[in-house]
Amino acid sequence: MRMSLRACMWAPARLCRSKPMASSAHSIKAVAPATARPSTGTLRRRSPRMRSAFPYLLVAPAVLYLLAITLYPGIFAIYQSLFVVRFVKWTWAGLDNYERILQDAEFWAALWNTIIVGGLSLGLQTVIALALAYFAYRDPLIRGWRIIYLMPMLFMPSAVAFMWKLAFNDGRVISDLLMTIGLTHGNVDWLASVWLARLTLIVADVWQWTPFLFIIFVAALQGQDQEIEEAARLDGASWPAIFWNISLPMMRPVIVVAVTLRGIDITTMFTNVYIMTQGSPGGATETMSFFIYRQGFRMFNFGYASAASVLMLAMTILIAQTLVKRAFRSGRS
Amino acid sequence: MASVRRDRSERLWLRYLILGSWAIVCLAPMLWFLTIGFRPRTEIIVPHPIYWPSWSLDAWRLLVSDWPIASYLRNSVVAVAGSVVIDLVLAIPAAYALSRYEFRGREDIGFYILSTRMMAPAIVAVPIFFLFKNIGLLDTVWALMLVYAAINLSLVTWIIRSYMLDIPKELEDAARTDGAGDLTILREIIIPACLPGIITAAVIAAIFAINEFLFTLLIASTSKAYTMSVALANFTGGSDGIIYNAIALVSFLAFVPILIVVILIQKHLSRGLTMGAVKG
Repeated sequence: MRMSLRACMWAPARLCRSKPMASSAHSIKAVAPATARPSTGTLRRRSPRMRSAFPYLLVAPAVLYLLAITLYPGIFAIYQSLFVVRFVKWTWAGLDNYERILQDAEFWAALWNTIIVGGLSLGLQTVIALALAYFAYRDPLIRGWRIIYLMPMLFMPSAVAFMWKLAFNDGRVISDLLMTIGLTHGNVDWLASVWLARLTLIVADVWQWTPFLFIIFVAALQGQDQEIEEAARLDGASWPAIFWNISLPMMRPVIVVAVTLRGIDITTMFTNVYIMTQGSPGGATETMSFFIYRQGFRMFNFGYASAASVLMLAMTILIAQTLVKRAFRSGRS
Repeated sequence: MASVRRDRSERLWLRYLILGSWAIVCLAPMLWFLTIGFRPRTEIIVPHPIYWPSWSLDAWRLLVSDWPIASYLRNSVVAVAGSVVIDLVLAIPAAYALSRYEFRGREDIGFYILSTRMMAPAIVAVPIFFLFKNIGLLDTVWALMLVYAAINLSLVTWIIRSYMLDIPKELEDAARTDGAGDLTILREIIIPACLPGIITAAVIAAIFAINEFLFTLLIASTSKAYTMSVALANFTGGSDGIIYNAIALVSFLAFVPILIVVILIQKHLSRGLTMGAVKG
């Protein structure tokens, strides 16, 4: 992965005013040649204290805004999780909610479903996106492929969920197609079986989000040094060997970042569950997000829902601190 | 050289088989769903699917007569545009500091901002619901605007930061020796030079905001604050069942402008989607 400093080169002229910028920069340079000061941003004509506070002042609004919308809810959730909440009446419950939740089969099922549905979709879309990217990136029609493959991602997720709900369940289109090619006899009830219901969620997610990984993988492949591959090819290496031994290792940091980001989004899966399955059959497709939503906004067990939120938050922080931090460190270098 | 050529032609059919198949996988459901938008309701939920319908504009008539599409569209636009403005105002100075200054805790602050992207909406859904309930913003576009801004702030900051890191330091240094202050440099040099990054960030943030579902579902409890995304789900209510043809039509109406804008920023998409970690 070569990440060169080409920022303004790829800007389309319409969007980027870099041309006039560059020329004005040159004129500045011409007046004062670059014998300039060291490049750590220093503030002129201001006191040293002001100077060291300046960057903090710049980040403060953003950080405060995010704290308000993450730290406050976090503390609120922890506090609320210690109560049994019935409408406006809060009754102190200590750690009862946590004790109950850790013995709640539905909670563990939701965690397991999130992992299994998310894991399978993530694996599937990673493999598909890699294969597509590898075949597409040198193709003369790459621009066309990219736009076609991009389309599912630009559809409103709620509309995509309805589309697959209609295709699988209400409109019986998938069953009909499967019957036509002789794979099934009669109509398939996709919500009747645990794995079929999960399959519908996986199909919807893979269809919509494979493009996310595809776009990133293509960019990574295009940015790679072509000479190594070309040399290997001249040496007579077959393309699977080139892919496994050269392209894939070179793409590793990009794959890690992209899959991590996609993985984070998959674990929050809600819209498709809400619209397509509502967790059925028997909770087999209920994800963590849907569990929290159902406990809070269907059953009004807000304290219980908050306890689940706190547990999910703890898992998120754990994952963020280990996986994501590393992914972004390596991705940047 | 001959072997190279043979190797290429041998896998060319495989290449187009694979690429073409996935193109069909992408397009076929969309084209079929488009026909849903132009068929009468009697031809949607049927024992045997109809692939070539008797065309009708029923869905369109329903949209313009029964369904306050204008107000949902306005809610979407106000909430999304407002949230993007908030994001840019907060993110540009933050990105400037994170990309241009050495200060204690810079890495940690940067990572904290990034980490808010990982928080599942469901985790904060209950507290956010109570927060807006207590300050009386429930069921308003203002609440949606604030929430969308929060969801995308990390993304916008990191994308812009990545583009700012690419601007050569010499540009700034030259201006600085000319006597320009830090804010002048930000306004006159940094922002114009990373404009593609700012536009990319704004577009991606806008798309995520338009698509946002869970918070909108909780905050917008009546049609007063419904956005397109949640108003779609509202078609499920009532005795009519799900009005699929209207849903299909609306989703394509929303899809076309998004597609056009994304094609315009295509080159920057991979960088934007990875929050700057992967440069195209």
